[in-house]
Amino acid sequence: MNLQLTLAARYLWGRKLRSFLTTLAIVIGVMVIMGTGIYMPTFMDAFNKSILSASGQTDVMITHKTGEAFSVSVLNRVKTVDGIRVIAGAIDRPVALPPNFYGRNSTVSGFAIVGVDPNVAPFLHDYQITQGRFLKQGDGNVAVISQRLADSLNVKLGDALRVPTTEGVVKLTIVGLMPGRALVGNEQVLITLSQAQKLLDMSGRINVIEANLTTTDKAQSEAIVNQIKAQLGDNYTLGGLTSGSEFLGAMQMAQVMFSMFGFFTLLMGGFIIFNTFRTIVAERRHDIGMLRAIGASRGTIIGLVLAEGLVQGVVGTTIGLALGYLFGMGFTGLAAPMMKQFMNMTISAVIVEPSLVVVSVALGVGVTLFAGLLPAFTASRVTPIEALRPSIGVTIQRVGRIGAIVGAVLIAIALVGLLSGSFELIALGGMLFLVGLVLVAPVLVKPFANAFGVLTALIFAREGTSELAQGNLTRQPGRAAITASATMIGLAIVVGIGGMMFSLSDTITGLFQKSLGSDYLLLPPSVAIWKGDIGAGQGLANKIRSINGVGAVSTLRYAQSYIQTATVKGAGETAIAVLGIDPVEYPKIASLEFQKGNQQDAFAALGRAERNAIVNGVLAAQANLKVGDLIPLSTPEGQQEYRIIAIGGDVLSMKINTVYVSQAVMREDFRKSEDIFYQINLAPGANPATVEQWLNAIVDDYPQFRLVVGREYLAEFRQQYDAIYGGFYFLLGILAFPSLIAILNTLAIGVIERTREIGMLRAIGATRRQVWRTIVAEALLLSALGTAFGILGGLYLSYVIVQGMSASGIFKMAYSFPLTGVLAATAVGLIFGVIAALFPARQASQMEIIKALRYE
Amino acid sequence: MPLIQAENLTKVYGTGETAVTALDHVNVRVELGEFVAVMGPSGCGKSTLLHLLGGLDRPTDGSVSVDGQPLAKLSDDALSKLRRRKIGFVFQFFNLIPILSSIENAALPLLLDSVSPTRAKQKAADWLTKVGLGARLGNRPDQLSAGQQQRVAIARALITDPVLVLADEPTGNLDTKSSDEIAALLQQVAKEWGRSVLMVTHDPRIAAYAERIVLMRDGKIVEDKRNAKAEG
Ligand SMILES: Nc1ncnc2c1ncn2[C@@H]1O[C@H](COP(=O)(O)OP(=O)(O)OP(=O)(O)O)[C@@H](O)[C@H]1O
Ligand SMILES: [Mg+2]
Repeated sequence: MNLQLTLAARYLWGRKLRSFLTTLAIVIGVMVIMGTGIYMPTFMDAFNKSILSASGQTDVMITHKTGEAFSVSVLNRVKTVDGIRVIAGAIDRPVALPPNFYGRNSTVSGFAIVGVDPNVAPFLHDYQITQGRFLKQGDGNVAVISQRLADSLNVKLGDALRVPTTEGVVKLTIVGLMPGRALVGNEQVLITLSQAQKLLDMSGRINVIEANLTTTDKAQSEAIVNQIKAQLGDNYTLGGLTSGSEFLGAMQMAQVMFSMFGFFTLLMGGFIIFNTFRTIVAERRHDIGMLRAIGASRGTIIGLVLAEGLVQGVVGTTIGLALGYLFGMGFTGLAAPMMKQFMNMTISAVIVEPSLVVVSVALGVGVTLFAGLLPAFTASRVTPIEALRPSIGVTIQRVGRIGAIVGAVLIAIALVGLLSGSFELIALGGMLFLVGLVLVAPVLVKPFANAFGVLTALIFAREGTSELAQGNLTRQPGRAAITASATMIGLAIVVGIGGMMFSLSDTITGLFQKSLGSDYLLLPPSVAIWKGDIGAGQGLANKIRSINGVGAVSTLRYAQSYIQTATVKGAGETAIAVLGIDPVEYPKIASLEFQKGNQQDAFAALGRAERNAIVNGVLAAQANLKVGDLIPLSTPEGQQEYRIIAIGGDVLSMKINTVYVSQAVMREDFRKSEDIFYQINLAPGANPATVEQWLNAIVDDYPQFRLVVGREYLAEFRQQYDAIYGGFYFLLGILAFPSLIAILNTLAIGVIERTREIGMLRAIGATRRQVWRTIVAEALLLSALGTAFGILGGLYLSYVIVQGMSASGIFKMAYSFPLTGVLAATAVGLIFGVIAALFPARQASQMEIIKALRYE
Repeated sequence: MPLIQAENLTKVYGTGETAVTALDHVNVRVELGEFVAVMGPSGCGKSTLLHLLGGLDRPTDGSVSVDGQPLAKLSDDALSKLRRRKIGFVFQFFNLIPILSSIENAALPLLLDSVSPTRAKQKAADWLTKVGLGARLGNRPDQLSAGQQQRVAIARALITDPVLVLADEPTGNLDTKSSDEIAALLQQVAKEWGRSVLMVTHDPRIAAYAERIVLMRDGKIVEDKRNAKAEG
């Protein structure tokens, strides 16, 4: 192995430019995987820290599976179990704060209001009071907070702390301070349980029971826990808090996209490496033959090629990891302000999971070795006699007809799949189409080069350079095709995803106007991720209705729930957001986008005193639900079955599993009557100025809400969407970059390989300029080929994604032709082609004739 | 027992109508320390014979044994080992690895045989000195003249102490002066260092350095004579 590594290192060093370019392909692949891989867990971490509070230090913690509050009577049921030393019910509610609630410079974006029984809590938790006192029975608007929270809010003992509640803003007097929590995360604002029930509209209810046991023995503890479980049934979770699976759902789409990016980038990297190795082997036939003649075994030769791959893989992966880390940090940094504004999440640290590093290394090195495998075997089959023959120069490749036929068949199958209308077939077709194009590409190189050659001949007048370029391309159609394929895949994804985003953007804007087209909105800090929002009681809606000039007022209420699902991964629970709407008021202001059923019948059904529900597309697709089915939702009062009367949804809940029920039913089953989102329309002829003034006055008491003019909100949403859109294009740009390297690589290799030929051309009188032009013309041909194929593949891909999404029922979209995307791809493809040509062309034209002629 | 013994050696390229019989039942023996030149018109099968004797290719019919070992029975790896240890090759186009220095090129066969790099380089330096290149150890092929490159190739062929050196037109790419020097060197390899040398050449002047000249035509040996001039 030692010899192989030495030789590999020497070969690599001897061809610095090519080694650099090939390694760069690996660097970029690993970088994208690493960078996007950092992004996800970092946001998950931020999410965990800002929305979920860390679980306490008690032995047992009981919550309802839905995360919703339940009756205090449950506490009594648990108390009957033997072996419990201390037990208490509490309310632990995260409070997401509106931006600038504590002034512009405040870093506090949320905390948890924790209502505890002051007599029992000190026996459950070790509350160390450093100043003042702990809570006591009968305390009203007083609180105990941590020193850290006090510091960041710039308050001290005896000061008042403003907190948003369902009763409007309440001032709590700070009576005690305790040290900060060990875990960085949500700080707690401790108040008495009875006060919490009052301020959060939760009278007679708690959302967590904490208990310490009489034993610390593991087996005995487990026995007690099992007894509690038996006592409570399946609807309660023992242990930590339920995770934010709702948010996970929303992030799933992004995750899929990112994985796709990484996969395709690496695929391109693999193509480029494969291409390089094939060339290396072809170029070194003589060396390899000589090595075989003087006694190197086949294994030694395979080892030699793979060693070269290994060196590049290791170096490329190492650099890729470092750049990926920087890229991940940069991207996270760019997205952070948006996340803060839109989701109220603070990103504290960039997370790098060890598994990500392992996967990146395995893929980076693995792909390189894998790409080198076939060329390595080809190399091992070089006979020793090759060394004895005079060098013939570049051999002319034959075109594999079989590959082309297979490719054509794959494309045909893909087209049939598209017509089938089935999501799985359409998705599969997308892959087949790309693979088919790659296979067909070699046979199309020649006709394409000939056709396009007419154009380059026009550009470069008649000097023979265009013909030469054409000839260079067509004598290695396999290599040209592989290069074009790398460009093609890159651009196909750019055009494909770009086209999908374009269609999505059009569709969403339409939906937006439909679902959120009211004159005014009252928005909580976190829209769509409702969990942390504190709403308002019935009083606020009544006050708004009483304003002169207000027409209709519609509100949303929110509860968490889950359903049992059986998926391929096994049985599990899927978190569901339940939204309560008023079936009379809602349609006056907004409407849902229905996939099955219609608005009139659906709202009429919701208006009846029955358990009827509308489910949204994502949920229906995921849980395989149809109109007429019964959906068993878990509620604080046990499981309840709801009849599905329609399938449809609104824009905000598009990506989240959502069930719409009437507010009346929600009050019954979930005990929730808190409004978290308001839509308000003006009465005909009303004066907007005065209404707005009144609304502002009312909302002042409820600072958790922001009054927004509908049009402005639409603009705001578009702006944020555009920001995401921009971020996406940035990623796509990075993805297109490897195709630049692919072209550069092939051209550079071509120049190296034809050194003697170029020397000869120069010797017989070709000017530097002519040589330069030959290379540039070749680059143009190559990139035009890749671009044409890429756009074709991309259009198909975007159509497939749009059709696939519609067919799957996740989301109904209309296909819009991405004209700008196509134009951009054409420009990018050709410009990249010329840029890629500059360096090799320079190298070729600056070549010293004598040296070139002697080149071995 | 002769060092090389080939019996009824036949090589047919291709099949059916396009079949070419490059070698036609050739019998040949080479003794240890013998310097043999193979001559004949282009296409008569000289290179083919060399390939078969060196285990670079397999015969259609007949047998070859080198140093008492029948080649037909050897696996590819065993054949590789035999070439590595017992045979040295010198090519018309030198076939040096462009990215390696003279000393590294010459050391290659030993490195392939897992000899320690220090020892391999030491031996390479010795041989390069013996072939008159002691002053160009660190130069890469593109910094050497054609004759010098061929000397590196000869040093490479000799470094494993092979019993047999096979050279296919070693002077084909050299000027007269260099050609003479290389031929004299090969003569030295056989006479002083005791290896058998089988050299293919077109040039009667170069063939004259050998003690035995084999003449081929249409895949057959038509004449096999001692060269009194060289023997003298
Ligand atoms: N790989 C091959 N496939 C088909 N025919 C071959 C092959 N190699 C050699 N031949 C044929 O075998 C015959 C002998 O070839 P060989 O190379 O041995 O000739 P040679 O005597 O070395 O000629 P030269 O002096 O020109 O090098 C020729 O007719 C040649 O065309
Ligand atoms: Mg020959």
